[in-house]
Amino acid sequence: MTAEDGTPPAGEPPAASGAPDAGAADAGAAERGADDAEPSAAQVEADYLATTIWAQVDAALSGITATPVTAEEERSVIDLVVRIPPRELVAGLRALRSSEDLRFDYLRCLTAVDLEEEGVDIVYHLYSIGGKQNVTVKCRLPADRLEVGSATAVWRAANWYEREVQEMFGVRFEGHPDPRNLLLPEEMTDVFPLRKSHPLAEIEVLQGEGIAYEEGEL
Amino acid sequence: MVTSTPEREFETQELLINMGPQHPSTHGVFRMVLGIDGELVTEVVPYIGYMHRGAEKLCETMDFRQGVGYMDRTEYLANFNAELSYVMAVEKLAGIEVPERAQWIRMILCELNRLSSHFMFTGAFGTDVGVFGTAFVYSFREREVIQDLFEEITGDRLMYAYFRPGGLGWEVPDNFEQRVQEVLLSAERGIRDMDGLLTQNEIFLARTKNVGVIDAPDAIDWGMSGPSLRASGVPMDIRRDEPYLYYPQLKFDVITGETGDVFDRYYVRLQEMRESVRIVEQCMERLRPGPILPERMPRMLRTPPGEVYVRTEAPRGEFGIYLVSQGGNRPYRLKIRSACLSNLQALRDMTIGHYVADAVIILGSIDIVLCEVDR
Amino acid sequence: MAMSPSRPPGATSDTPVQAPPLPGAPAEPHIAPLLPVEHPADAPGLVPVERRPGKALYKTLLPGVLQVPADLVLAMGRKSSLWPMTFGLACCAIEMIATYMAHYDLDRFGIVPWPSPRQSDVMIVAGTVTKKMAPAVKLLYEQMPNPKWVISMGACATNGGPYTRYDRVLQGVDKIVPVDVYVPGCPPRPEALIDALISLQEKIIEDRKVLGA
Repeated sequence: MTAEDGTPPAGEPPAASGAPDAGAADAGAAERGADDAEPSAAQVEADYLATTIWAQVDAALSGITATPVTAEEERSVIDLVVRIPPRELVAGLRALRSSEDLRFDYLRCLTAVDLEEEGVDIVYHLYSIGGKQNVTVKCRLPADRLEVGSATAVWRAANWYEREVQEMFGVRFEGHPDPRNLLLPEEMTDVFPLRKSHPLAEIEVLQGEGIAYEEGEL
Repeated sequence: MVTSTPEREFETQELLINMGPQHPSTHGVFRMVLGIDGELVTEVVPYIGYMHRGAEKLCETMDFRQGVGYMDRTEYLANFNAELSYVMAVEKLAGIEVPERAQWIRMILCELNRLSSHFMFTGAFGTDVGVFGTAFVYSFREREVIQDLFEEITGDRLMYAYFRPGGLGWEVPDNFEQRVQEVLLSAERGIRDMDGLLTQNEIFLARTKNVGVIDAPDAIDWGMSGPSLRASGVPMDIRRDEPYLYYPQLKFDVITGETGDVFDRYYVRLQEMRESVRIVEQCMERLRPGPILPERMPRMLRTPPGEVYVRTEAPRGEFGIYLVSQGGNRPYRLKIRSACLSNLQALRDMTIGHYVADAVIILGSIDIVLCEVDR
Repeated sequence: MAMSPSRPPGATSDTPVQAPPLPGAPAEPHIAPLLPVEHPADAPGLVPVERRPGKALYKTLLPGVLQVPADLVLAMGRKSSLWPMTFGLACCAIEMIATYMAHYDLDRFGIVPWPSPRQSDVMIVAGTVTKKMAPAVKLLYEQMPNPKWVISMGACATNGGPYTRYDRVLQGVDKIVPVDVYVPGCPPRPEALIDALISLQEKIIEDRKVLGA
């Protein structure tokens, strides 16, 4: 949500707090549903959000455009998934880390999902050791601009995970302190093995002499 | 312990020492370049990826049930724990209810696997510290006993592929309960032996105490997990904090260390082995006859679109499976969250400022499995 | 001459060793003992067997003095003290360690793990060889002194195994180093590795002319 919409305080009931975002249509629908109770889908959505920690996450993310993922085919079975646009991502992550009641101080996992022409999703799994709560932050990068800010300043744990995503998916993390390849050879910067377009290898039937690799070919 | 460089009386030259990728004490194919000033380590640059073989990519081309085999080969010292994360992820996505007996047997096997994995750690770590051979021989004696039981159940010594989405591959043998009791007896003896061989050894204590200290905020920031994190005094155990299987019904303690040094990382693991014995004993009391697979399992397992991140407490820490499905019978994306990768990131912080001889035991104390790091 | 006691003189390596039948055992004339056993010709149920024609590995010059070719002595020395390099790559390394340990006890074959390539004879490639690791494997092989042998342990080292379709994995270690014995299995049991080492010992005896003195 954005700041000019009027940020609801932390204690507000979860059904209404997912609301005032001009950019996100589904969140707006949740508010209408609370008023006149006409589309049941919105009510289902609000009920789903009420079972999650969206209210607290929303409070922590004041001033940042964040939308919860509520569609059944996209949301996670266990955790709440929140989408943040790329330009506000690092600020959002920092806000989640420094929020008062839920201090997401532990970066469980950082990875990416290649959606081919739709771009790449960067996925952050966060955990609050004190509050024992989880949230998943997603960020969709367009296919023609695979760039996002680095989270290494927020959690040092992001360092190797970002290097891995960079070499495997070709996403550039701006401000990464050490953007070398992690798993692949260091000079291999134009091959992205975990992309869907990267083919599997052909099985070489021949063995023994004749197809021995030369130096530098490996 | 040396925390700061002592005053120099004469000029020394900085050297770079390469360790690995093949080195007897790197626990696999791990390479690190140590910057040395005299005997002190001034810089550590780890290089990984020598065992990167694309388990995630290959799983995306395989049926859900076939992926179990890759989990075994990814985390080959705690296979059952790795399989558990994967099958739980598939079950959560597909909405499969697992019968009670299958869950209890899973818990028993996972805890026994934790025992055998920690025995591997004590053996390898003892070798690193200098109890060459002895610790390894004793720990492999215990591992063979546990592996024999696993072989009787699953048919293989190392790659079990026994957990299936929905339950287990087949029923355990008839003498399962008696065999587990025998294994527990032997494991208790083994824990006692290790305690006597290592914990009460003065040289061992002198080498491990106050070496490689990492404090709690740093450990959390680096994303460490499992015994390595608990040694720093953070009581984070997924079995207790975010319960899965039937762990809430059981009594067990979460062991934490105090200083976060190499000795604590060893001692937390040793104590955890005692807890694992306790857990298995309680599980055996609650094990009842029953089905081990749901009544109706589809021949072709399909999941609705969605995603799930399942994490379980493996012997080395949090083993997570992030599974994205777009419908169909194979994962769209499978990410293996490796505990060792995060633990290994903190190696640089732990090692700098110590003697070069301690670099090896600090690496040994975080108990890495390189196949899990590189996947 | 230090031949194993179970193998009587005159037996070449392809002659199966069989215990002589027990005196009280029922006679089975079609399963004749293959080795010369001295029995009285009129003993009931026992048929004397003629010595198989074969080339003896040595000559008896005088009683108690044998003449043995030097290459045989060298080959037997080599085969009886194989030192494999401790070189674990992946999962197979765990089974390799288990084979060295007390339960399977490779030491009784004179096989001792050695942590340096410069003093070892055998490289057991235990695990997947990735293309990033391949130059290091090749370098290790080149660092070993001659004569040297390579055992490819497990499916991954042999042809890539379950990871063969991933393009960062080398499809078999025999593309970079010559392999003497392949061990099937994923991972092979310790017995399979012991069998591979015994096969390698036989191969060393058979190849002694090629390797030379």
